[in-house]
Amino acid sequence: MTTVVSTMGKTGVNGAEVNSNDRLEQTWATPTGIMRFLTAVNHRMVGARYLVTGLTFFVLAGVAALLMRIQLAVPENTFLNPDLYNQLFTTHGTTMMFLFAVPIMEGIGIYLIPLMIGARDMAFPKLNAFGYFVYLIAGVTIWGSLFFGVAPDGGWFNYVPLTGPEYSPGIRIDFYTTMITFLEIAALVAAIELIVTILTMRAPGMAINRMPIFVWSILIMAFMIVFAMPPLVVASVELALDRVIGTQFFNVAAGGDPLLWQHLFWVFGHPEVYIIFVPALGIVAAVAPTFARRPIVAYELLVLSLIAIGVISFGLWVHHMFTTGLTPLGLSFFTVASTVIGIPSGIQIFALLATLASGRLIIKTAMLYIIGFVIVFVIGGISGIMVAAVPFDQQVHDTYFVVAHFHYVLVGGAIFPLLAGTYYWFPKITGRLLNERLGAWGFWLFFIGFNVTFFPMHLTGFWGMPRRVYTFIPGLGWEWLNMLSTIGSFILAVGLLLFLLDMLLALRKPADAPDNPWGASTLEWATASPPPTYNFRTIPAVRSRDPLWEPVRDPLYERDLADPTWDRFGLRNDRRESLGSSVLDARPQQRIILPGPTIVPFFLALAVAFLFLGLMINLWMVPIGAFITFILLAIWHWPSPEERRLEEVTAGPPGALPVSTVADSVGIKPPFWWGMLGLILIEAVVFAALVASYFYLHASNQEWPIGGIKPPDLLLPSINALILFASSLPIYLADRGIRRGNQTALKVGLVISFVMGLIFLTLKYIEYSSLDYNWTTNAYTSIVWTITGFHSAHVIALLLKTLVVGTWAFQGYFTEQRYTAVTVNGLYWHFVVIAWVPLFFTLYLSPRLI
Amino acid sequence: MWNRRLLTACLFLTLCTGACTASVREPDIPSALDPQGPAAANITNLWWLLFWLGTAVFVIVTALLLFIVFTHRRPGEMMAPDLRAPEHRTWIWWGGVIFPAIILSLTLFFTLRSHIALAYPPTPPALTIEVIGHMWWWEVRYPDHEVTTANEIYIPAGQPVNIRLTTNDVIHSFWVPELNGKIDMIPGKTNSLWLQAAEPGIYRGLCTEFCGLQHAKMQYLVIAVPPNAFAQWVEQQRQPAPAPTDETTRLGQQIFLGSACVYCHAIRGTNASGQLGPDLTHIASRRTLGAGILPNNRGTLGGWTINSQHIKPGNRMPPMNLSGAELQALLDYLATLQ
Repeated sequence: MTTVVSTMGKTGVNGAEVNSNDRLEQTWATPTGIMRFLTAVNHRMVGARYLVTGLTFFVLAGVAALLMRIQLAVPENTFLNPDLYNQLFTTHGTTMMFLFAVPIMEGIGIYLIPLMIGARDMAFPKLNAFGYFVYLIAGVTIWGSLFFGVAPDGGWFNYVPLTGPEYSPGIRIDFYTTMITFLEIAALVAAIELIVTILTMRAPGMAINRMPIFVWSILIMAFMIVFAMPPLVVASVELALDRVIGTQFFNVAAGGDPLLWQHLFWVFGHPEVYIIFVPALGIVAAVAPTFARRPIVAYELLVLSLIAIGVISFGLWVHHMFTTGLTPLGLSFFTVASTVIGIPSGIQIFALLATLASGRLIIKTAMLYIIGFVIVFVIGGISGIMVAAVPFDQQVHDTYFVVAHFHYVLVGGAIFPLLAGTYYWFPKITGRLLNERLGAWGFWLFFIGFNVTFFPMHLTGFWGMPRRVYTFIPGLGWEWLNMLSTIGSFILAVGLLLFLLDMLLALRKPADAPDNPWGASTLEWATASPPPTYNFRTIPAVRSRDPLWEPVRDPLYERDLADPTWDRFGLRNDRRESLGSSVLDARPQQRIILPGPTIVPFFLALAVAFLFLGLMINLWMVPIGAFITFILLAIWHWPSPEERRLEEVTAGPPGALPVSTVADSVGIKPPFWWGMLGLILIEAVVFAALVASYFYLHASNQEWPIGGIKPPDLLLPSINALILFASSLPIYLADRGIRRGNQTALKVGLVISFVMGLIFLTLKYIEYSSLDYNWTTNAYTSIVWTITGFHSAHVIALLLKTLVVGTWAFQGYFTEQRYTAVTVNGLYWHFVVIAWVPLFFTLYLSPRLI
Repeated sequence: MWNRRLLTACLFLTLCTGACTASVREPDIPSALDPQGPAAANITNLWWLLFWLGTAVFVIVTALLLFIVFTHRRPGEMMAPDLRAPEHRTWIWWGGVIFPAIILSLTLFFTLRSHIALAYPPTPPALTIEVIGHMWWWEVRYPDHEVTTANEIYIPAGQPVNIRLTTNDVIHSFWVPELNGKIDMIPGKTNSLWLQAAEPGIYRGLCTEFCGLQHAKMQYLVIAVPPNAFAQWVEQQRQPAPAPTDETTRLGQQIFLGSACVYCHAIRGTNASGQLGPDLTHIASRRTLGAGILPNNRGTLGGWTINSQHIKPGNRMPPMNLSGAELQALLDYLATLQ
């Protein structure tokens, strides 16, 4: 211990002579200037960027909408040509869904979750920064394509075959297929980040049944993203492959099926709506109790109904396909499921009403938006139940009735709560209160403008006006309705302008907002406005669902608050550390070491962008981008000289909690382990979507394999599969060995499994190079090559990862105390091996059995 | 605030009554609320049921919300929180579970009933019509009668007809709001739908799946005529085009057959047998041009022929380079294709 303390010098763990807050400030500091932009990893900086960027895209997409409303104000208008109109409505949709709604909800989560759960940062700050850069690059690319007049023009739903290589040659749809996939990386890493942070970093005492509803909603949203986005990724990749290398997934002439796209898209697309709605409900549940001065009513029921909404939302996708001619029985099932989701939504609304009715209401702007939310959302919910009725949907599907319906749902269910949330949290984020008077004006204009715009559209749809039309002919009775909607859209826009103006004016004022201006109950209000870079010097203690309304009386906590030189968990102030706690009851367990500013995430985002742009520009960029990505990932994880000195890593004041990366010995999983589990979950859903594609194509073709191709031979692949399965054993032995301090077992195990992985890949190569068909032959060969290629890419990733971990092993980095990276590498290895079981069945056995 | 609410309610009611009245008074509106056949009538009945249930829900929730807001509102700033045991938990069971469950069960029952009733027409259809979607027009075939036309579907009034729907290119969707719901036309798949118009009349149909540049201008007319008139129409459409009888129409035919027209258009009885565009054998008998978007008369047909790109930018018909006299002769000829 003495050496440790000496390396830390005067500002050491117990550095009483230096003011602890200053030391923390120094530890959590971020460079200024351009380097701040490139290297910041702090969750509040990244979260704020998400919010500002998301708001910018919202405004841009809103301008696109206004242009469309001008075009539709009168019949046969020539303000926009059809080509530009189609690009605009596509960009409006993709921006609102992919570049605004999801990132803004994740951004709010990224900004607020650590504050709400009493943490200093999130579990993977570097990943956070990486996700943001990915989002930014994807968004700028998509909007760049619009400014160059080559934006995607197939709608946000991008139905094939209109968007396939035959009917949309050229680069436009490539922006959609590649950039949406690229963008989902950001959505997925943020989801994992949020899940792991919420599960492992909560303040002591914030048991899972004491988490604020908002935290629950973000957790549920993140899980929904993990399950919903992979099908979209698979759909976009299949379409990208059709467009770029000539696979036949959606080409009917070669056994493909356009409905495969629709299924995969809506398996994502329907939950997507709830991915936006669930966190919005969380915002409502944060704002309403504060202004009702009453804890939320029926906490458990609210949480359960949020989970129910999340789960049921995955069973509704076919209600977007009621007019595709599926069997009536199947359609009825989805009618029932779509109706059933009305019940948890009803619980949400009535729990809110009950909370308001229990309290004394302070009507601030935030509350106005909550009231607006109920009215607008209930209308959208009612029309949602209507369109769940198959016969009725077959009338209004793809008309302006549906445009009205989903704007009521999305604006009511997301924008109103978001605006409420902005008025509520703006003082916390900026230290400045917004102007209530301007806020009320903005609210009324927005509320009235919204209804004037969208309510008439119900009727426009009944009267036969289809969606996605760039103009309409006169004489069908649609003129006044469209003019009314256009007028309304400008009233709405003025309301939003006042909102933006309010924020701009507030930012010019001094930051004088109190820490807790609304007297709210959750932890984000326990710290300063805006919070210091480290959020909390003293990790708050929690004993109830409303910690600031029912403060804890705990001597240790009070001593911690009173004594700036002492921390009850031994969190160091010369290194970024936050508290790790147990998943269910939030018992303090470990110190999580967090990284500081680094530019690697920025370069990694560039490298991955390079890889994806290769799909549009030149396929050679793909392997080059992948290689740079690998190098950067290795740098990302490479232990620094300090990290290599185990004593220094584990150092802490007497009684300090163990450090997460070496804490596994006491049976506690570090965040890294949970993160890998999250990655595995995502990948499992990706594989599942690929297998679903396989069987879908199988079911839609009478002959399988298509075109007289024989089912694949079994001998070589079976032997190869056994080699792959067997490779898990040395990985397991390596992990077990190092836990007992056996360096030889570690090295030998890693080398043997590496070699077995190589053999697997080589045999796979031999097997596929002897086939007399390739991925372009027909839909069967497309899916077979894609699944195999995707799995092989995973095996390659495994080998590269093992190469890195193996290098550390030979450097003697691992010990019986520190082996997390080996365990996590093993976890991923076992996953890729186990994934081959269903894939082997699908590719090799199912064509013979089914 | 009451004024706003009143305003919204007024708007709501105005629009709904507007929907009922206007649909009666303006027959040109392709209104789903103004059903002209048994299928659409079934759906409209379902709609009014959903509408009244929905209105009841909206009124109850909004009234409750506003009542709470006005009775629990407190002026001034944030006061200390009230931490007593929560009240009104039973609301959630009544309002959030039992009440919606009753409403939703009702809607489910009526929805399924309507769904089942719509599966088959009242009597089996005697006539099958094939409609094939093209970017951006409709090919209409009567396989039993060897009739091919475009953008116009004649049906006998008072009888169900079966429509078989396929597409030649991308996904389109077939919808005649006054007669029935819509169904998509999907590559590799044949969907079908039955239509029945109670009375003779003209009902507008629209493409309702985004299908590219001119999705907006892809419409058609369903023309229901008395059964005997339908038989006459079929008989007339079966005839090949009449031979030109005078000099100008003969010249017009030569221009047609000698130009690019024949690559895309067919006129039965001549050598023109192009398949890419609409069959023009009886073009003069049609009511509209450009897939339901222009009335068919000499002026519009002339304009369309010379440069349809002004009218429907991006459509597949190239501009025609014809002199004034040539155009007039061509129009004279086309006018004979009754």
